[in-house]
Amino acid sequence: MSENSGEYLSLDSIDMTVQEILTEMKDKSEVIVDLAYASLMYNSRDMADKVSEIEDEMEDLKYAIRVKTLVAARSIEDAKQLSGILQIASAADRISQSAGEIVKLLDVPAEKRPFINNIIRESDEKFRAIRISDKSDMVGNTLGRLAVEALTGARVIAIKTRRGWIYDPDDDIKVHAGDDIIVRGFDDGFDRLTEYAQGKKPWEFPEIEEGDDE
Amino acid sequence: MNKVESMLLELKDTSEFMVDLAYSSLLYNNVEIAEEVIFLEGKMDELSIQIQQYIENVGREHPEEIPKFTFVLRLQMAIEDIANAAASIADVVLRGLGEHPVIQMSIQESEATIEMATVSERSILVNKTLGELALGSHTGMYIIAIKRGAQYIYGPGKEVVIQAGDALIAKGPEESADFFMDIASGEETEL
Repeated sequence: MSENSGEYLSLDSIDMTVQEILTEMKDKSEVIVDLAYASLMYNSRDMADKVSEIEDEMEDLKYAIRVKTLVAARSIEDAKQLSGILQIASAADRISQSAGEIVKLLDVPAEKRPFINNIIRESDEKFRAIRISDKSDMVGNTLGRLAVEALTGARVIAIKTRRGWIYDPDDDIKVHAGDDIIVRGFDDGFDRLTEYAQGKKPWEFPEIEEGDDE
Repeated sequence: MNKVESMLLELKDTSEFMVDLAYSSLLYNNVEIAEEVIFLEGKMDELSIQIQQYIENVGREHPEEIPKFTFVLRLQMAIEDIANAAASIADVVLRGLGEHPVIQMSIQESEATIEMATVSERSILVNKTLGELALGSHTGMYIIAIKRGAQYIYGPGKEVVIQAGDALIAKGPEESADFFMDIASGEETEL
């Protein structure tokens, strides 16, 4: 008992609420699949490693949410409602495991690895690298403040900075001039994002609520 | 692209679309969207069977191709598992377990929402191409798929013409959703 609970208490996710964990699991389950396909397309071992890292994080998150929801259940009705949350968490974890299976395909020698690049390139939701110009007012802002996906429908899956790659960047990461942001989305949104990134259009920041200092 | 490639591509696109739909069914506890996910799971099963049959046939005639098909099958299994996970998320809504406020709030925290809107005959969208409409710029909502009858067009290109009766599935910020729905229903007549 003591050993197991010790392990549980050492999880970072222990300080998160059930809601925060579920949000995190949903977001991660989406980005991990993008990264998995992208790693095959760019033949990138680094991206594949990031996928495995997220897969491990998901495992911890799933464990934490399980324990937290079980503790919260006081009646049959509670248990029913909470079981829905656990079902979602398990599904998100399963998605991340599948992403893990996809990156394992990187180990298959190139001559036995057909199709995949064509498939991703032809896929409706394409990847694109967009360079941030020093004229863009995205510069100096965090990804959280920019909320790129909400404004352009394109999801940032990685950033190539002068110092190296950041995969699945956190909300507090700032965008710098000269960065390439790797996004997955649609033509319509790419065109719009490119205009912002080149500084041809001012970014439309979401209105900030009074007293909200984030 | 050969036949396996295009089947695999459709499998992949369908699975990703299912995940998008499944999460958004949670947002409004929307049974209709959840049922769509289950419908698509059925399509995935059919596609998987087709892929396997195709591989059996080609493998018999060209055994040297078999190593490549191992790769295809592994990918197919991973994709199917993603689709099954999506169905399991939709199942939460269908079982009536989607009402918990924590579920809705955790999905809301994420950036974008998904809306499904049927194009009415009097909508200004009818008979226009997506290219000329530039819905993303004008409404803030991006079309990720169009359902026409029982068929889906994923990530429709600029040349696709919208028809009355099409169901548009669009992604964007929550505050853009109402205007988008009104444009599709014909209530709003100016982009």
